Amino acid sequence: MKDSLFDEPKEPNPPPVPKGRGKQAIIYTVSQITSLIKVSLEETLPGQVTITGQISGFKRHSSGHCYFDLKDKNAIIPCVMWGSDFAKLKFKPENGLAILAKGHIDVYAPAGKYQFYAESLTPAGMGTLQLAFEQMRSRLEAEGLFNEEHKKPLPQYPFRIGILTSKSGAALHDIVDSIRNRWPVAKLLFYDVPVQGEGAAEKIATAIKDVNKRNTSLKLDVIIVGRGGGSMEDLWAFNEEAVARAIFNSKIPVISAVGHEVDFTIADFVADARASTPTKAGMIAVPDIKEVLQQIDSANNRIKANAESAIKLSAQRLKTILAAAVFRNPLVIIQNRGQILDEFENNLAESAKSFVLNIRKLLQIYFEKILKIEPHRLMADKKIPLNNLQNRLSQKTSGLLASVKLQIETQAGKLSACNLKSVLNRGYSITKNAITGQIVKSVAEININDIIITELKDENLVESKVVKK
Amino acid sequence: MAEKKENNDISNLSFEQAIKKLTDIVSKIEDGQISLEQSLTQYEQGMELIKHCRGILQKAEKKIEEISKEKEK
Repeated sequence: MKDSLFDEPKEPNPPPVPKGRGKQAIIYTVSQITSLIKVSLEETLPGQVTITGQISGFKRHSSGHCYFDLKDKNAIIPCVMWGSDFAKLKFKPENGLAILAKGHIDVYAPAGKYQFYAESLTPAGMGTLQLAFEQMRSRLEAEGLFNEEHKKPLPQYPFRIGILTSKSGAALHDIVDSIRNRWPVAKLLFYDVPVQGEGAAEKIATAIKDVNKRNTSLKLDVIIVGRGGGSMEDLWAFNEEAVARAIFNSKIPVISAVGHEVDFTIADFVADARASTPTKAGMIAVPDIKEVLQQIDSANNRIKANAESAIKLSAQRLKTILAAAVFRNPLVIIQNRGQILDEFENNLAESAKSFVLNIRKLLQIYFEKILKIEPHRLMADKKIPLNNLQNRLSQKTSGLLASVKLQIETQAGKLSACNLKSVLNRGYSITKNAITGQIVKSVAEININDIIITELKDENLVESKVVKK
Repeated sequence: MAEKKENNDISNLSFEQAIKKLTDIVSKIEDGQISLEQSLTQYEQGMELIKHCRGILQKAEKKIEEISKEKEK
């Protein structure tokens, strides 16, 4: 017997349990009978048992310990799992999950119940199926079936939605309700398919191909394929290759809504979007109509506000313009100009007047100044020296002229003398009349008995009397 | 653009197209410096689009149509 924290404190020295023989009425205390039951169980059951069943009512206490029931169609057994054991689990136990549980049964006397103390849990049906799943997943992933680039965007506002699920399943209602709550405008088109069992995968695949083929008339914007929670075997159809390929090849966007949040099927990987449960399909597939209506209201307000402010602004501008003096009294401009002109005129007249006055004043000043100077007297004063200068100048000038004349004559004389000298040196002579001193050039100028002087070179003179001509 | 033609164009728009146009109008009037005349034109168009969109959203589909393949199998 494993020690537990809930070991019931044993009564010190309980009274011996009477053993009944035959049909004697034996009276047991509650504790005594409970003890008997406990011992009975210990003797009958092996110390460790493995139970298979479905989890329900799963609760995790703040202490870390977990309490749940394991059930099947006809019976139910309460279970406890200590926090330390729970921490070792590789998966998350959930209500509805079919599991294998290893542990022991014991009686919990204070509550009058027997409990199963679970030491380890494994999801039921693991092994073959899990292996098959992993293999399928790797193969299809390698082919690229799960790649992002193949995923089609979902229509933002779908108005025709196809739902592929079982008519008898809970998923149909969950999907329909979740869509109707959010986006009641969409038309829902239902395609009944089996979602588990023999041949289900083929039928689901065919349905997907079928709606694609008929879509020119069906006009579906998006399709939801799904089912409620279950064991791996239950969900197995959605791991089959046929379904995966049908989803991949679908021209209509596909949302997979299979099982619980923890359940991931191949269909979920291939689909264009996954809803973690059929109830969540509504969130994924359609927008919230309230939000869209709000968006429209907001647009409405903004457009109105903008138009109003545009009008207001224009009205204000017009008002401001009209308020301007120009419109109130158009003549004002002209009047203003007129006034400016008048002022200019005045200013001009004033300016001109004072200008003239100033000039006159100046002139007067200058005139008086000039008078004071007595220019005529100044002139007279200057005249005398001027006359003197003039006289001296003419004297000097004539004196100068005379001397220059003299010089010139002298030089001229010298020059002619020179000339004369060279001529004379050549043997020529100059004949002059002795009385007049005139040079005799022709015979006519001289008479017989006149006295002539002949000048020869070096100033030699010969006096002669003309005897004959 | 004749007003009548515009109305027909709007009522033929899909919801998605109409919402897009509406969003464009809001951007246009709030971004740009548009004239008074344009403001009013956009207002008219906007109101038409809003009417159209609201109309579409008012129809709630109550029935589910069954489209399972009847023939064969």
